[in-house]
Amino acid sequence: MGDDSSVSALVARVCDGDQGAWDELIDRYSPLVWSICQRFQLSRQDIDDVGQSVWLLLVENIGSLREAAALPGWLATTTRREALRVLRVTQRHDHADLPPDGQMPVDPGSATIEEDLIVAERNAALRAAFAELQQACHDLLSLLVADPPLTYADISARLNIPVGSIGPTRGRCLGQLRRSPHLAGIIGDDAPHANVRGGRR
Amino acid sequence: MPEVWDDEELLAALGEALAERQAVPPEFVQAAKNAFAWHNIDAELAQLTYDSSRDADLEPSTRAETASIRALTFTSAHVTIELEVTQDSLLGQIVPPQPATITVQPREATETTVSADEIGRFSIRPIPAGQFRLHCRTAINADALTGWFTL
Repeated sequence: MGDDSSVSALVARVCDGDQGAWDELIDRYSPLVWSICQRFQLSRQDIDDVGQSVWLLLVENIGSLREAAALPGWLATTTRREALRVLRVTQRHDHADLPPDGQMPVDPGSATIEEDLIVAERNAALRAAFAELQQACHDLLSLLVADPPLTYADISARLNIPVGSIGPTRGRCLGQLRRSPHLAGIIGDDAPHANVRGGRR
Repeated sequence: MPEVWDDEELLAALGEALAERQAVPPEFVQAAKNAFAWHNIDAELAQLTYDSSRDADLEPSTRAETASIRALTFTSAHVTIELEVTQDSLLGQIVPPQPATITVQPREATETTVSADEIGRFSIRPIPAGQFRLHCRTAINADALTGWFTL
């Protein structure tokens, strides 16, 4: 099984009843479902409701997905549809309490979902690549993206490494990350720079 | 090849990816993992499509007389399960009406089974405490499982 961690391989293993592969898919894509629910401004209870429906529908339908690589798109579409179902139920309740126009949770629309999907797939690929880095790189990059940011002096003290080595190690680790097969075609090609939200620098 | 991300962009994107995962509550992820237990159940999902406590005026004409009673509807492709919560029991109706076996599956307790009569009526007594779901197998061909819910 060469490309064992590809979405297609995971889906195939899930269809064979492999709970580990399912867990891996969930680790990879639950942030996608979660973030779409957040866009709809659902309550926590409603998000749990949507999540339950999405995952059960996935279990039911995963064997009939024509193309396993389409899974992220299927998840995004299903999450959006389930979120709208829940909104239909909750928004009919207490009309009097509806917020003024402009604050209403609305369907963010398929264009936004497309953006979410691109970002979520890229984020999942980044996490997969990050998980496979050497421990030293894992530790250093974790601290470099810490929020609130840490100074090089803080990082030096925490990792017990010279301040002067942080810059070069950072470059080497990002090089490793960049070369990960998980990121092939994702961060170099047509990655939408405008969608990089939350850049810290 | 079009432009490639520089180190700053890559690091910012990584930060975003890791923050996104941290924002997801562990219980949400665990519930998703637990959903895999569904894969060897040969039932279809019956989704909550009506809840009087959340949806006061969805079906005003049919619900008016029982406005004070909580009612829920679960719908699957082949069968609908209507529930009414009374003081001490849960009254159910299978639509279309047909005999069925209803298994009550509490998350924290053992299952119990009740039967729906020839016109699809059943009652569950006492009302299950905590989270539970219903598994409905009809005499004809429907096999539906509701999502977890709490009354």
